[in-house]
Amino acid sequence: MLRIRSLGTFYGRVRALDAVSLSVRHREIVTLIGANGAGKSTILNSISGLIPSREGEIIFQGRRLNGQPPEEVVRLGICQVPEGRQVFQPLTVLENLELGAYLRFRKREKREIRRDLDMVYSLFPVLKERRHQISGTLSGGEQQMLAIGRALMARPALLLLDEPSMGLAPRLVLEIFRTIRRLRHEGLTILMVEQNARAALRIADRGYVLETGRIVLQGRARDLLDDNDVKRAYLGRDYREFVEGRM
Amino acid sequence: MSVEIWNREMECQDRDDLAQLQLEQLQATLNRAYKSVPFYHDRLEGSGLGPSAVRSLDDLARLPFTTREDLNQTYPYGLFAVPLRDIVRIHSATGTGIQPAVSGYTGNDLGIWKEMVARCLTAAGVGPEDIVQICFDPGLANWARDFKDGAETVEASVIPMTPLEIPKQLMIMNDYKTSVLVTTPSYVRQVLREMERKGVTPKTLALRRAVLAGEDMSQTTRSHLEGAFHIKIHTAYGLSEVPGPAIAYECKERNGLHLNEDHFLAEVIDPAAGAPVRPGEAGELVLTTLTAKAYPLIRFRTGDRTRLAMEPCPCGRTFARLEVLAGRADQLVVIRGVKLHPRLIEGIMTRLIKGGQPAHVGFVKRWEGADLLEVWVEVDEALFSDEIKVLEILAHRVRRELEQSLGIPVRIRLMEPGTMNEHRNSLGRIIDERRNG
Repeated sequence: MLRIRSLGTFYGRVRALDAVSLSVRHREIVTLIGANGAGKSTILNSISGLIPSREGEIIFQGRRLNGQPPEEVVRLGICQVPEGRQVFQPLTVLENLELGAYLRFRKREKREIRRDLDMVYSLFPVLKERRHQISGTLSGGEQQMLAIGRALMARPALLLLDEPSMGLAPRLVLEIFRTIRRLRHEGLTILMVEQNARAALRIADRGYVLETGRIVLQGRARDLLDDNDVKRAYLGRDYREFVEGRM
Repeated sequence: MSVEIWNREMECQDRDDLAQLQLEQLQATLNRAYKSVPFYHDRLEGSGLGPSAVRSLDDLARLPFTTREDLNQTYPYGLFAVPLRDIVRIHSATGTGIQPAVSGYTGNDLGIWKEMVARCLTAAGVGPEDIVQICFDPGLANWARDFKDGAETVEASVIPMTPLEIPKQLMIMNDYKTSVLVTTPSYVRQVLREMERKGVTPKTLALRRAVLAGEDMSQTTRSHLEGAFHIKIHTAYGLSEVPGPAIAYECKERNGLHLNEDHFLAEVIDPAAGAPVRPGEAGELVLTTLTAKAYPLIRFRTGDRTRLAMEPCPCGRTFARLEVLAGRADQLVVIRGVKLHPRLIEGIMTRLIKGGQPAHVGFVKRWEGADLLEVWVEVDEALFSDEIKVLEILAHRVRRELEQSLGIPVRIRLMEPGTMNEHRNSLGRIIDERRNG
């Protein structure tokens, strides 16, 4: 579904990604793990068209994404849930969700949008309860649900999730991950960046490990969970944080 | 019920998907090797390349080769890409010098090898209802272990390798009702000879298949052995340095060996020029590991002469097919599946014999169906001793040392000065006196 070959991305003169190749197949959950600054979010932003990529190619369902503006990428079926739950704080929950379907309003898909709204509400009942509430007053977990819900309103084929568990209490982390798994079950394909490597690898089919802009390891998620380098670098701390609830 | 294809998702995948997978794996392998193995780091830097020099699979040809000599130079752990505490198994294989070639494996690595053997056995029609008897010379004990693991993975009943002599092995084959024999072509020939001697006919055996590895085998030999045993023979290709006996394996079409392309990237090169041959042409096989974590090999020159066929196979597997050709692209001689470099003999002589290297020639002979190495050593003035016993002890020590390094039978003949004249031009070399097949 998505194929990236030898992607090279720069921030000014600084190289952020160096010959990164990765792929996501239909209905897969793929996760990118790595330390802060390794380039995980840069990959998502390069796919979305938020950052121009200078080298390599990004092919989505046979079409080249390089150089496409973000709205075109959304139109082609890719939607990104940005890091840090960037919802429109002054707007209500419903307004946020409707914004997610912005491109489709123009195409007069009213009935379908209605149905998708119901789907989002059934996925996150709390959003329905609070649909008229100002988003800024939601809890962290609820804002994350809203951010995901808003992305789903664009009816993507591929969902890009940037740190969906960041800053959430352990109980909510579990809930978000359960939802991600359910979304896949319902036909969505997911590429997810996560600090919480253990939780991400547990629900993912495959994973890629990034180090300073390069992929150093890739493979089945269960093999990565067993990998000693991964354990040392990414699993130890998360585990402690998880158990001690230090968030 | 045995499945025909062990891992359909991998073995039958679309070639485009496979190319993408290989590029991802190759880049990750290079990044790891560059970061963790000083040898590869320096090699890449030395060629003016970084780890990201490879942007397409074709770029691989820009990287330097790794040779058996490099394995020797980095003895023992110089090519390991993970700390020793992550290694769960350490293998030794005969090297080009006195020191063995050492390789290491993480737990995940072993799982990969196991699966490759499982694919091979499944493709050969081996399954849970089979009784698999594994027979190798001690020199191929690594492969015996890998076959045992793989055969257990496909849930066959496994009789692992034992140091028993051929008559005992034959007894076991008969009494335990072995249905699959896993060994080398030369071993099968010895078993056949033993059967003839004992008057055992194939009808009394339950044997129905053999999986053979370690030596190339002519079509004539294959047909002869199949007829003599009333069995079907499948072959496998492997390297002893990375102890996978099943890097490539034969399916029921038996028209070339499917290469595990999700774990290895293959190139075929002209051994003299080092450049790739045209698709489908014969040349030396060069392998790059794509998934090995502990012991990555980048452009390893196997010395094996092969041809690679890309046409689709009726069995449904999309992996390229390897045709293993007779002869070698290097100086190695293969005896019972064990690779011997002439320098090994030289090294052992230098160590054991003080006062200079005596003239010597190695011969590979077939004696009563069994292959062996015979080394002729000229008793020159430096070596000469009035006491026959001293010479005998010396010969014994050279033999023992060689047998320990190779794990196959060796004979030493002490030659009077002047008697080796006809081999003047072959001193220090190995002469293969086996007839083809």
